[in-house]
Amino acid sequence: MTEPSGSLSGATTGPADALEPWPDTVQWQPVSRSLITVELISRAIWVVVILGGLGAGWAFHRHWAWPAAMAAVAVLAIWRSIVTVRAVKAWGYAERDNDLLVRHGLVVRRLSIVPYARMQFVDVTAGPLERAFHLATVQLHTAAAASDAKIPGLPPEEAARLRDRLTALGQDRAEGL
Amino acid sequence: MTAADAPPQPQPEPPVIGEEPRRRLHPLSPLLHGAKSIAVIVAALSWQTLSQVGLERFALVVAVLAVAVVIFSVIGWLNTGYHVVGRELRIQDGLLWRRNRAIPLDRLQAVELRRPLLAQLTGLAELRLEVVGGGKTEAPLAYLTVREAGALRQRLLALAGRTPGTAELPGTGPAPGLERPLFRVSNRDLLISQLLTPQAFFLPVGVAFVVMQTVLEGSWTFVGIASTVTAMAGVLLQPVRRVLQDWDFRLARDPGGRLAVRYGLLETRSQIVPLNRVQTIGVTWPLLWRVQGWLHLRLDIAGYAGPQSGDAKRSDRLLPVGAFESGRFLVQEVLPGVDLAALPTVQPPPRARWLHPFTLRTIGVGLTPEVFVSRSGLLTREMTLVPYARLQSVRVVQGPVQRLLGLASVYADTAGGRSGVAEDRDVAEAWWLAEQLSIRARQARAVTSPSGLTAAPTALAEPAGPAGRAEPAGDGHGRAGSEPLS
Repeated sequence: MTEPSGSLSGATTGPADALEPWPDTVQWQPVSRSLITVELISRAIWVVVILGGLGAGWAFHRHWAWPAAMAAVAVLAIWRSIVTVRAVKAWGYAERDNDLLVRHGLVVRRLSIVPYARMQFVDVTAGPLERAFHLATVQLHTAAAASDAKIPGLPPEEAARLRDRLTALGQDRAEGL
Repeated sequence: MTAADAPPQPQPEPPVIGEEPRRRLHPLSPLLHGAKSIAVIVAALSWQTLSQVGLERFALVVAVLAVAVVIFSVIGWLNTGYHVVGRELRIQDGLLWRRNRAIPLDRLQAVELRRPLLAQLTGLAELRLEVVGGGKTEAPLAYLTVREAGALRQRLLALAGRTPGTAELPGTGPAPGLERPLFRVSNRDLLISQLLTPQAFFLPVGVAFVVMQTVLEGSWTFVGIASTVTAMAGVLLQPVRRVLQDWDFRLARDPGGRLAVRYGLLETRSQIVPLNRVQTIGVTWPLLWRVQGWLHLRLDIAGYAGPQSGDAKRSDRLLPVGAFESGRFLVQEVLPGVDLAALPTVQPPPRARWLHPFTLRTIGVGLTPEVFVSRSGLLTREMTLVPYARLQSVRVVQGPVQRLLGLASVYADTAGGRSGVAEDRDVAEAWWLAEQLSIRARQARAVTSPSGLTAAPTALAEPAGPAGRAEPAGDGHGRAGSEPLS
């Protein structure tokens, strides 16, 4: 989270931020903050389920390992929740002339550059929880399985706009393979 | 087995749009499928079952299952058909769930003609079409007569090409005389190369182990030994399998400029790959082959699934074994303008030593006008060549340790399942690389035509600091055990 560096030519060194390349040319769009709530709720559901299972185990079989595991799960969940808040703020995407940039991740930071011309199809998904908070996820698929361009936490209008724009651009520059 | 529906009809030429009759696979196909499944059934039942139920019952179970499979195959055969409609191949199959698939031929990645042992004995062949999407081969047409399969392949490829106007004579067969042979791997080299694998070295050890066990314990049953041997064979006989697979490896250029690869002893395969479908080329120098200066070339095509699929099933060899000069020649044939001997790469910055204490010197990346080169591996040296035109996306990934050291990795993804990786570059350089890759990919796409070369700058990424010396990629000359034809 240091200051972004200047030159891109590779001719200068300096502290370059993994999430802030080309700061002068790229307009990063954040994802909706409601995604934090969605993530927290879905994590809470999982934690409750796991804690319930461990608690049941403890009820049947008195052993110190059960509460220890429960404590570990709770600590992990709290830590993950704190990280989530920051991780959601770290998600971002940018539409450039020829490609879509998506960045995410805090511990392992990732940035994907996907040319529109390589787009195979666009997925727009929204789970029940996401729908309740008016969110949708847009995912751009290329022929490479490793490509990783997923943007969660978009308002439905923005998701629809992005989908239409992506497909339009993909058709313009179509080639696929 | 009534040959009432004789499949090999002379096809209507030229490829006009119109309905043509649905054709069936060869009537012997159900039997061949049945025979194949006997092996699968036996493997599934395993030695354990044999020892429990006794030989007669075992044979009975296998026979009943096999008959059932054959009956199902016959019904399946009755329901299976294919025909070409316009620029599509339509295939109907399925027993309970009928499936109708239309395969657009302009999306065809490669066509392979496979002849397993039984099919060779009966004069049949399996035609496999590779299209993008899905981990497995779409639409294997098993089985057709060889003539029919060859003709269909020629026809499909002609339809798949951009210019469908090539007047293809019907029944030219799979091997027309117009092919220009490129290369042939000598079987002696193949044998030696497979003896120079770790498995081959362990084979005597494994055999000795079994013998020792038998002698020392004395109480081993036949089943016990048999299962041990089977288990060991699975691992240790890989070199043998390779030899059988890659036997008589031949490469040629077909009249349309496509690459024709033929190999195999028990199961012969003949694969035709349009050159613009080549996604990446992988070069490997195994440790034990260095004495001979040999290398292995791998061809990634979008249809074949990534590294997770089994080695035996994949057909991705460009050169099973060969001297450096042969490899160089073939790379130049497949990726015009790329010289394997002149691919300079640059090491990561010295502080990446924390992540690669021993292998730092072997890691490197380079940008040539045509391809992105990345190289790695201390014992088994590997090199991946990704043509810019085939790049699908670029990723930059930075883990926590890399962040401490100010490093990042750049991935160049292709549809072939393998990515070119620039591991642990300086962050500023990683950005520069990512940008260069996307720019060059865009330029290469704009040119599009397979022969066109991009006008990208030749300069190599020369980042700040002592980035390390550029060094030539290859091992220099190896002994020419196998030499290019013509």
